[in-house]
Amino acid sequence: MDTHETAEATTTPTEEVDWETKLRYFLNSDFVRSSPFWGIPFLIMGAAVYGGMGFNVAISLTDARGLTPPDYSLGNLDLEMYTQVLGSNAFLQATQNNLVLLVTFTTVCLVLGLFLAVLIDQGIRYDDKVQTIYLLPMSLSFVVTAQMWLWMFNNNNGLLNIIVTAFGFEPVNWIGDPSIALGSIIFALIWQFSGYTMVVYLAGLRSLPDDQFEAARVDGASTVKTYLRIIIPQLKESSVSAAVVLMVFALKAFTFLYALTGRYRPPNGTDILATLMVREAFKFGKWAYAATIATYLMVLALGVIAPYLYYQYRQGSL
Amino acid sequence: MSQSTSDSGIDVASFVEEFNLARIGQYVLVILFIGFFLAPLETGIMTALKTNEAVARTIPLAPPTGEGFTWGNLQFALEQLSGAFFNSLFMAIPATIGSVLFGSMAAYGLTMVRWRGQMLFLILFLIGIFLPYQAVLVPLARFWNNIFPLASMLAPTFETLPVVQDFHSNLVPLMITHIAYGIPICTILFRSYYQSLPSSLVEAAKIDGASISKIYRRIVLPISKPMFGVVFIYQFTQIYNEFLFAFTLITGSDTPEAVVTLILPAVGASTSGIDFGIRMSAAFLAAIPTLIIYVAFAEQFAKGLRTGGG
Amino acid sequence: MTMGEIVIENLTKEFGETTAVDDLSLDIADSEFLVLVGPSGCGKSTTLRCLAGLETPTAGDIYIAGDHMNYRVPQNRDIAMVFQDYALYPHMTVRANMRFGLEEEEGYTKAEREARVEEIAETLGISELLDRKPDELSGGQQQRVALGRAIVRDPEVFLMDEPLSNLDAKLRAEMRTELQQLQHRFDVTTVYVTHNQTEAMTMSDRVAVMDDGHLQQVGPPLELYHAPENRFVAGFIGEPMMNFVEGRNEGGRFVGTYVEYPFDATIRDAVDGADDVVLGVRPEDIAVSTADGVDESDLGAHEFLMHVSVIEPHGDQNVLHLNHPDDTAEDDLLHALTGGTDIFEQGSEVVVTIDPSHVHVFDGESGDALHNRRIGPEAEVTNV
Repeated sequence: MDTHETAEATTTPTEEVDWETKLRYFLNSDFVRSSPFWGIPFLIMGAAVYGGMGFNVAISLTDARGLTPPDYSLGNLDLEMYTQVLGSNAFLQATQNNLVLLVTFTTVCLVLGLFLAVLIDQGIRYDDKVQTIYLLPMSLSFVVTAQMWLWMFNNNNGLLNIIVTAFGFEPVNWIGDPSIALGSIIFALIWQFSGYTMVVYLAGLRSLPDDQFEAARVDGASTVKTYLRIIIPQLKESSVSAAVVLMVFALKAFTFLYALTGRYRPPNGTDILATLMVREAFKFGKWAYAATIATYLMVLALGVIAPYLYYQYRQGSL
Repeated sequence: MSQSTSDSGIDVASFVEEFNLARIGQYVLVILFIGFFLAPLETGIMTALKTNEAVARTIPLAPPTGEGFTWGNLQFALEQLSGAFFNSLFMAIPATIGSVLFGSMAAYGLTMVRWRGQMLFLILFLIGIFLPYQAVLVPLARFWNNIFPLASMLAPTFETLPVVQDFHSNLVPLMITHIAYGIPICTILFRSYYQSLPSSLVEAAKIDGASISKIYRRIVLPISKPMFGVVFIYQFTQIYNEFLFAFTLITGSDTPEAVVTLILPAVGASTSGIDFGIRMSAAFLAAIPTLIIYVAFAEQFAKGLRTGGG
Repeated sequence: MTMGEIVIENLTKEFGETTAVDDLSLDIADSEFLVLVGPSGCGKSTTLRCLAGLETPTAGDIYIAGDHMNYRVPQNRDIAMVFQDYALYPHMTVRANMRFGLEEEEGYTKAEREARVEEIAETLGISELLDRKPDELSGGQQQRVALGRAIVRDPEVFLMDEPLSNLDAKLRAEMRTELQQLQHRFDVTTVYVTHNQTEAMTMSDRVAVMDDGHLQQVGPPLELYHAPENRFVAGFIGEPMMNFVEGRNEGGRFVGTYVEYPFDATIRDAVDGADDVVLGVRPEDIAVSTADGVDESDLGAHEFLMHVSVIEPHGDQNVLHLNHPDDTAEDDLLHALTGGTDIFEQGSEVVVTIDPSHVHVFDGESGDALHNRRIGPEAEVTNV
């Protein structure tokens, strides 16, 4: 540490500082000294995330399929796949399903999560235990929960149909009927995710000072009014971050759908971009075509994240 | 923001009235939702313990009785999954340790040490969290199969090692993949913790003459022990539960190196349909490691989820 | 031999658009206790952090013991710093906390380090705390450990960033004295940042007052009190603060909205040429007597009839808020300090006497002092 001293002592006050001193200072600076710490993880992550994204775009510009490796020669690169994908019915259908999933799933999860958070925040006994139970599905793999819901949805012996028939209705073909399959799957995903939104909202609620509630009470506001007018508007931050997480999930959801059937094709009427992409790639070997769908998917996800990150940056809360 | 209940009980009459109306309603709702969240799990476990005949005859919620009870499904499922359990843990534990360590390092370099331009790097890490993995699947498959076939390069070495077999080398690319894509979330989790530490700690250590790496080793690492717990639990759950990467990088559910999540959708399936007793047993067994962790460390898991997002 | 002389030349530190420190030059002698004082955001902490090497100056030079410091990382500057929140390493015992800095210093054996830690702990009276963790200590004890951690390294310079502000009032007064004694004993140059002017007045050899990134004045505490160079320093030093009355200089007379005050000869020369002026007088320099039976025509040129609007009793003294009878504004015109036994009625009329030897006059535009009060029978502290 102190071997530098002799060299530096020769720098007389009035003289210009020589470049060696400046270089040594730069090499000693926090930026350089901390670079192994953030640099190594960044290189690994950057290669995987950004390298992977770039590679994917490169493949999408080729015509690679089957066992022929992608040909990256300039003459071969074009946007043909992009027009092909856009023109395909399967893609449009999957996009439509995906948007329905995204909007319904996100909205219901937010509303239900907020409701549960407010409910638990009423001074319920054993609230931490209740919270643990509500969040339990979130700790399970989609593969596991898909099996359980497959059983719940079972035509003959599933719990849902037993309930439905107990009320005197006809049994419902939950995931066989294309008109309701997407709804059933959204229902199951809400079951898994509403615990997460609840936890986010609960953290938001508990970070608000107690005296706001008391002040509203002194002012004579009813509980419902207090929540609607005073408390919930302050949970905007929680809502935004939870919504972003849910929307991005809705875009990339694959596992649950795959695990319901164990096949590349999800139940009728529930094909979304993520399942379409994986199927095109790994079942049919249409690498370039699948890479193109993945690029569209990536752009959609960025469309959700970029405004969020910008908003966070502007708020100074990054 | 929880309303205190300490003021109740002073005025017995109004307390009782309030209790009757609002409180009962609240508890009924709480219990209904407990039922909603637990019913699929409960039917699963009950079904796992029933014979095929009982599965068809009884309602799924009811516990198995008398002749309808069997350990057979669980035993069969355990046989099917035992190799996969080893594979999953063999892959998930090093992958978790790796991504957690790298995440902590990156967060330290990006949060506790200040330098210009670090916001840009931070944003690049943040985008990494939200990336739909579909966007890198085709490249990943090409990279590990064609460009850098690490698994087949390692296979001869693995053959000579104790405990593991040559096919376990197929798990190494998966492990590395999980480390790489786990770094962003771990970084952000640690960052939220490091931001809550006073900056004067690092400054004091600097003035005390400690280098950046000594500060990390002697000050930051020991202080962040509780956060290591949170991130480790969260990340292990994520990696153990993950399916898509395993599905992409491991050839099939019938291969010996398949992880638990990969095998599960195929257990108990036959041409005549799904044997739900076996399937539910397998699902329950597959969930046990994360269930144990979740029940023991629910608070840490919730914290990881809150800060990091789904 | 310690040579803890500090030279700061034209130091400027900018954070993006804002300039925290603007062209500050300051020499601090070896073993001097210098207090940097000013309101929050004045740049005092930034100056200290530049000295410590925690911030890189945008321009200007810093020398410690004759060596240029700009391009030296903190660990090579031979300084020690005490932080406002103490910054004790929470997972280490007091012993390990104090030893941590010594580990990087050459020329100590393991045993010598232990001995050094114990010796300093003894001096500070914290020997029995050595094996405890910081969270088992009271605020005052943590403060001592933070000091010990700085002293143990035997640096050329101590830097202290509001070290007493987290203590309660009683403890703060105790630690103030103790810090001074320690500084004398170890004879180390100390730069001490605070926003508390009592600390600045009582502890320092010299005080440097900063505002808005600029150095306003440096000098011994009493010089700052009696001969402030400008209105900011006059107002910042002293509690209750100096009274300022704004008005004009009209032919050697001060003319304000409610009062007129004829200047004597010395002042008249000093304020010559200034139009807008501000009259300054410290509350303890205002003499107050009852106005019973006094007629306006009986008053001398430096006496006024005033109205007591509020009384703040402190026991040992009383603060009177005074208004001119014609003044309908909410703000008080003057605050006066009277002895604890001089009781006046709220709402009563009083006669206020301001002796010409007690007044300060500032330029109304620049705020520079045109004239400062005289101390002693003849002596006059003039501003430089």
